[in-house]
Amino acid sequence: MAADALVPDKNLTIPDDEDAGDGGAFSIRGALRMLVASGTGKAAIALFLLMIALSFYVLATYPLRFGAERWSNPTVWADNPKTAPPFWMTWLGKDGIEHQSFSQSDPDTVSQRGAAEVREFTYPLTIDSNATPTFLSMTLTGISFNGRAPVVVAILNRPDGGAIRLTNLAVAGPREGETAPFRRFYDTAERQLLTQQETAAKSIAQWYSEHYPGVAAPTDIGAVLNHALFSSPAENGSGKLTTLRGDYSITVQVLVADPKDEVAPIKIVSGGNVFGWMGTDSLGRDLWEGLLYGFPVALLIATLASIMSTLIGAALGIFSGYAGGATDSIIQRLCDIITNVPLLPLLIFLVFVLGSHLYLIILVLVAFSWPGLTILVRSMVLQIRSGQLVEAAKALGASRSRIMIRHVFPQVAPYIVAQMIFFAPGAILAEASLSFIGLGDPSIPTWGQMLQQGFQTGALYIGYWWWVIPPGVLIVFTAIAFMLLALAMEPIVDPRLRRRR
Amino acid sequence: MISILRPLAIRALTLFGVLIAVLVLLVISLGATGFSDRLLEAQVNEEVRGFRQSLSQTVKNPEELEKAVNEREVELNSFYGLDDPWWKRLPPQVFRVLTLDLGEARSLRTAEGSNKVSDIVLERLPYTVLLLTTSSIITAVVGLAVGVRMATRVGSRLDRFVAYFAAVSFAVPAWWLGILFILIFAFRLDILPAGGMYSNPPPEGGIDRWLDLSKHAILPILTLVPVSVGPYIYSVRTMTVTIAQEDHVQLARAKGLPESKITSRHILRVAAPPIVTGLVLGLAGSLSGSILTETVFNWRGMGRLYYDAVSGTPDEGVIVALTFIFTLIYVVARFILDILYVMLDPRVRY
Repeated sequence: MAADALVPDKNLTIPDDEDAGDGGAFSIRGALRMLVASGTGKAAIALFLLMIALSFYVLATYPLRFGAERWSNPTVWADNPKTAPPFWMTWLGKDGIEHQSFSQSDPDTVSQRGAAEVREFTYPLTIDSNATPTFLSMTLTGISFNGRAPVVVAILNRPDGGAIRLTNLAVAGPREGETAPFRRFYDTAERQLLTQQETAAKSIAQWYSEHYPGVAAPTDIGAVLNHALFSSPAENGSGKLTTLRGDYSITVQVLVADPKDEVAPIKIVSGGNVFGWMGTDSLGRDLWEGLLYGFPVALLIATLASIMSTLIGAALGIFSGYAGGATDSIIQRLCDIITNVPLLPLLIFLVFVLGSHLYLIILVLVAFSWPGLTILVRSMVLQIRSGQLVEAAKALGASRSRIMIRHVFPQVAPYIVAQMIFFAPGAILAEASLSFIGLGDPSIPTWGQMLQQGFQTGALYIGYWWWVIPPGVLIVFTAIAFMLLALAMEPIVDPRLRRRR
Repeated sequence: MISILRPLAIRALTLFGVLIAVLVLLVISLGATGFSDRLLEAQVNEEVRGFRQSLSQTVKNPEELEKAVNEREVELNSFYGLDDPWWKRLPPQVFRVLTLDLGEARSLRTAEGSNKVSDIVLERLPYTVLLLTTSSIITAVVGLAVGVRMATRVGSRLDRFVAYFAAVSFAVPAWWLGILFILIFAFRLDILPAGGMYSNPPPEGGIDRWLDLSKHAILPILTLVPVSVGPYIYSVRTMTVTIAQEDHVQLARAKGLPESKITSRHILRVAAPPIVTGLVLGLAGSLSGSILTETVFNWRGMGRLYYDAVSGTPDEGVIVALTFIFTLIYVVARFILDILYVMLDPRVRY
């Protein structure tokens, strides 16, 4: 046992036999009462109630396959602004414009133009700060017609009286062999970025030349056009564009040849430059949604990993300590080896080879985290084994397994519970590290993966703080919640732990 | 002398066992999962495709071409050992790294363009050592100074603050702290470089180059220190407090020894072994942590190398070699720790 002598002395205080009877009757209700009584305990319980409530909210409202169906599906997020900061940045003085999405299924007015019917949908839009919408988009979710194909026209009405034609969309006519009603855009919705259309560029240039003579008309498609649509030249004649505030509206006209033709809801989105509680990433994903989803996942990882490694660690510890002999030696040498392995490189290697599945990540974590507990439990069991209680039980003819379960386990149980909670933060941090290196389970988004994406896309170097700070804060928050709980549990499971340092 | 050697020999055996166990684990996980087979098959397919393309320029007869390609494929299969099952093919390859024959990288290169993994490791290792030793020395100095001071005023506000600080720093991933620091110091305040090791272009001349390197090292070190110093201060404090209450310290005080002498001779001398343990364990631990910290700061050391080998197009040969090297460094660090321990703590010699 010379090798063991090299391990720093943990100086464990073991409950003596006098207490052993009580140890068996360790009451959960009493422990809870004590937990609530301490300040640390109150804080830990409050944090946990919050995390559990958020987890239940997520489980109740999110789709079952959130990662694949929603988070990693770009079409879901197409209409969101990209890398927009949280909306409350406007409270801190940022010129913000709200993200607005309107959907209408019934036309506001219906009129006749020759033989055709014009259905008009109107969407109001107000600009009352210096910020202009980051984009305008129109999404057609379905059109069915019987004869001639409809034409969809979108017009931006400006406060200065300009009516800017944004797009002219001629729906594809009947194909050969197709029978009426002809359905278009039902399977895949037709989405048009109105602020990036040639039509819009031409008509805004024309409006500028008519209405503001002497000002060079903006012709670039992209950010310049987008700005020009919602601006007018400054009054001092410098030719610079400033935001034109006031009430805008977007009119979508659908020309149909047959009154029986149907138009499914038409969606107009005016892109904000701020979005939601936590902003968006470069794909337009609502980070708030992803952050919330992280709670149940983190709790799952922490709970599964710590329960499994505690069960294995404690069982082997009790077995090793009580069985002694060759079994003991083998288990202890195994522990020696595993505790001397550099954890992170091997975790990375194993997950890399075995594949990025959450259950595999948890199993690999468990495989490397049990030996610490085994060594400690064994040393406790060695002392308990030579105690009077066990001797008495032996004298009464109790079997070895009965002694282990009925007399040894209850004495080490409280300590094991405290250790179990102490495992949890490590598991959360390890998963985050693996995710950050790009080995996270792609079907289950976690905080670590959000950080990885923020880091990989260079969000950090452009200053997109809302993308990289909140996930890290939540990782730290969850880890601290578990540590507070462990600290609060310590004096309860064993009053002597206060003395043990 | 024999009494020192015996425990150390046992320890050396255990640590050698660790090395072997890691290698066995590498072999089994690469082989039994079919990972190695898949990789080699992809490699063979790629080479066969290239061969077919170059051959189709000269050989026009499709039958002849097909025959030549098939022959080549059989040849390649036996060259890469795909004819043998993994348990025959892999062990000699993996155990070769025991002799530090680390093989060649596919796309990673040294500055001079060598693709030998051992060259790459030798190029990167000094940078990691620079980072880790500097931050460990700072941790040791700060930890000892603050920890011992705190021990004299147990229960003070500072004492409680450091207790919470230690708990929090355990919960904060170093790499995320690095991200925060980049946002604050490089992006917001713009006073320190966000990453890399040298400015572009790197300054010529010895001293300028060193200054440039140290400027780039400030943020990574600033990241590594807080994470390790919190727990370290706390353990130094706890050790010191425990020993300060022992009888021999009371006796020294009763003899009228000056307080500074009591601290250095009677408290720290006794507390030295666990204090050194904590430091070396922390150093070995930050070896793992350096993978992510170096990645965040684009610090081209061993950690960043490991990240580069895993991400993008993974290079398994390099990954196996690096996993072994990390284990080796870790094991050597543990062994140095043991030697120190035996030297510092006479109770271990028996």
